[in-house]
Amino acid sequence: MIHDFFIQEFTFFFIYLIIVLSFNLAVGFTGMVNLGHMVFVGVGAYVSAILTLGGMQWYFALLLAGLISAALGILMAAVTSRLKGDYFQIVTLGVIFIAIAVSRNWVSLTRGALGLPGIPDIIKSNFYYMAFVGIVSVLFVLLFHWLVNSETGKIFQAIRDDETATAVLGKNTYFYKIFLMAISTFFAGIAGSLMAHQINFIDPSIFDLEQFIIILFMLIVGGLASIKGTIIGTLLLFVVIDALRFLVVAPEIIGPVRQMSLLIILLVVLIFRPRGLFGRVDV
Amino acid sequence: MLSLHNVTKNFGGIKAVDGCSFEVKNNTITSLIGPNGAGKTTVFNIISGLTKPDGGSIKLLDKDITNLPPYKIAQSGISRTFQLTKIFRNMTIKDNLLIAKKTDDEEMKKALARVHLHKSLDTIASELSYGQQRLLEIARAVLREHKLLVLDEPTTGVNPKVRHELKVILRELKKAGNTVLLIEHDMEFVMDISDEVIVLTEGKVLKRGKPKDIVKDKEVLEAYLGK
Amino acid sequence: MPSILPQLVVNGLIAGSIYALAACGFALVYYVLKFQYFSHGAIISTAAYMSFLFLNLMGLNYVLAGILAIIVSLIAVLLSNWLVYRPMRKRKATPTTTLIASIVLLIFTSSLLLALFGSSTKTLALSNKNVTFDWGIFTITAIQISILILTLVLFFLLWLVMKKTRLGKAMRAIADNKDVAQIVGINPEKIYSYTFIISAVLGGVSGILIGLEQNLYPRMGVMIIIKGFIGSVIGGLGSVPGSIIGGLFIGLIENIGVWFLPTGYKDVISFSIMLLFLIFRPQGILGVKMRDDS
Repeated sequence: MIHDFFIQEFTFFFIYLIIVLSFNLAVGFTGMVNLGHMVFVGVGAYVSAILTLGGMQWYFALLLAGLISAALGILMAAVTSRLKGDYFQIVTLGVIFIAIAVSRNWVSLTRGALGLPGIPDIIKSNFYYMAFVGIVSVLFVLLFHWLVNSETGKIFQAIRDDETATAVLGKNTYFYKIFLMAISTFFAGIAGSLMAHQINFIDPSIFDLEQFIIILFMLIVGGLASIKGTIIGTLLLFVVIDALRFLVVAPEIIGPVRQMSLLIILLVVLIFRPRGLFGRVDV
Repeated sequence: MLSLHNVTKNFGGIKAVDGCSFEVKNNTITSLIGPNGAGKTTVFNIISGLTKPDGGSIKLLDKDITNLPPYKIAQSGISRTFQLTKIFRNMTIKDNLLIAKKTDDEEMKKALARVHLHKSLDTIASELSYGQQRLLEIARAVLREHKLLVLDEPTTGVNPKVRHELKVILRELKKAGNTVLLIEHDMEFVMDISDEVIVLTEGKVLKRGKPKDIVKDKEVLEAYLGK
Repeated sequence: MPSILPQLVVNGLIAGSIYALAACGFALVYYVLKFQYFSHGAIISTAAYMSFLFLNLMGLNYVLAGILAIIVSLIAVLLSNWLVYRPMRKRKATPTTTLIASIVLLIFTSSLLLALFGSSTKTLALSNKNVTFDWGIFTITAIQISILILTLVLFFLLWLVMKKTRLGKAMRAIADNKDVAQIVGINPEKIYSYTFIISAVLGGVSGILIGLEQNLYPRMGVMIIIKGFIGSVIGGLGSVPGSIIGGLFIGLIENIGVWFLPTGYKDVISFSIMLLFLIFRPQGILGVKMRDDS
């Protein structure tokens, strides 16, 4: 029993690690918080769910989940590339609301608020699925690390520090920003697919602000632009949630209590240390 | 090297640049001067592609660069610095230079020596003094492949020692074959260093000539002091 | 033209007034303090649930319940300023960080309300005493009439304060240029407190009216502030009159649009229009220039 519990915990840990890392990739290197990041995770989840429920092989579905999310990510990057400051924020928020509206109303595709249950497992054994997800997440960590230290990574950082200066040095910043979004959203989509096949269910609540707050917690508490920070931030989330299991409260309020505890920690970090534990840049 | 022909730019009814035409000759140091509001920075922004002109054309050697995006203009051979230095503050000197040109430590150290910046490559840019940041920005501009250096008020906010170094640096750059166009307010600096001076008022060229002639010109004095 | 059109317009005006009232508190804080004030939704839902507490659970008369609910909203807003927003200002938090904090506060409040009151939908006791007037081409309830009247009154009062009082002038000065305003002796923190207080009154009344017209549920703050936000974007984010126009616009479009599309698509209408505005006219109907990082 305990064995199963840990397998499940670790599977979710790896999935969230990929989500938050992809979020970190976008935010940590452009300096702009894409509030709609979960939209790409959700799209990946829905794409994979719909395709596998329709009979497609899981590896195609997984790949398509990543590619379709990436395509949407590129679209969004292209549309928002000229926007600065508040305009960007608004569009990212707008994307969330649109995703919620579409997933709730396009019932023929998504079954609306009922969601899609019975999503098939990729790998029947929980242990081997955990291993699979773990391998994917490790691969992404390595890719992230390589990207950060490569020449391209330096250009991303330069764009974050001063986009005009980077352009004036001859770099096509528009292309780099879109490229970054493509990688970030590709992995967000993959993570969404992995999540859908783990929970075997998906519904519009994945787009809700409550879900977003959780990945925001991991990102901000851990710190931006830092792999170590993201790993620790994700770990911390699980530690806090598991620690809270020992808190004796009435079952109907356990959910909100858990959420409020996380939110208080996040708020304290936002006020006193917005850089997070290991962050290299400010939000 | 660079020629502007009848460039115009309006900002909501105000003619910032009004039929501006001039040339920058190869291997010279040319200074663009003029009273505040004359349109100098707008002209620089148009040259480097950060602002699109409403009319006119700009040519670099024989290539029309008028409506190209900033990165393409940079790739065509213009290296620019800014009035408020735009170095990458959170990155090391080495990384700042790497973005300009992918090269080895040796060449980077030479670039730093050229601007008399004696700091190790691993120094974080935000730790440099303001004058040193200015020098780093110039080193970065010079390091990359370029045909024309466009410097926006390089002496603003630096101490006399750095200002003197800048004169030496610019002369050395000219000797090495560079062409430089600068905006400056420091008249002593302009008159000492320039081969040619272009005076801009109200968005167009008032006069151009050798420093010693411009300094004595009545119309130029009137433009600065008011009639 | 369908004979149902007048009814749709009336419904639209009612919904629009609610959204506009919710939006203007949000817009006011954005105007003066320059950040997206999403926790305004928390104030709205707090007021709604507090009126439930005082009216249904404690059986107080409705005037007293309303006043107490507004008072609790004021306390809530001042607490959020004191505990969260002011410390962030002192530490020079960016508008983005403040926006995130406001979302955190918003969700925290909805969780808290869920924990305290449970997830079932609540109805305010007063709603039972509603009276419907049938005027042939449309029907309207007493509560709905009160909504229209109250929002008009509040908008007028807001206009009075902003244009005719010293406080209003000070708020506009701070909004225009904080540093210069300080030089002429205006104390920003004091003005910020007043801004929050005014927004809390607007939000509080909005919450109570929403509670009367629709029902209470823990996530209502999130849902209503989203609509308010959309209205504000469409009207012009930097502007309070813009948020009112935008809110009314959304209310009308949603309700008239329902004639053409199935009811479930109500939300899609407003989101899509917002997206169109963002792409083609991000400065909104009133063409307000927004904060820009360049």
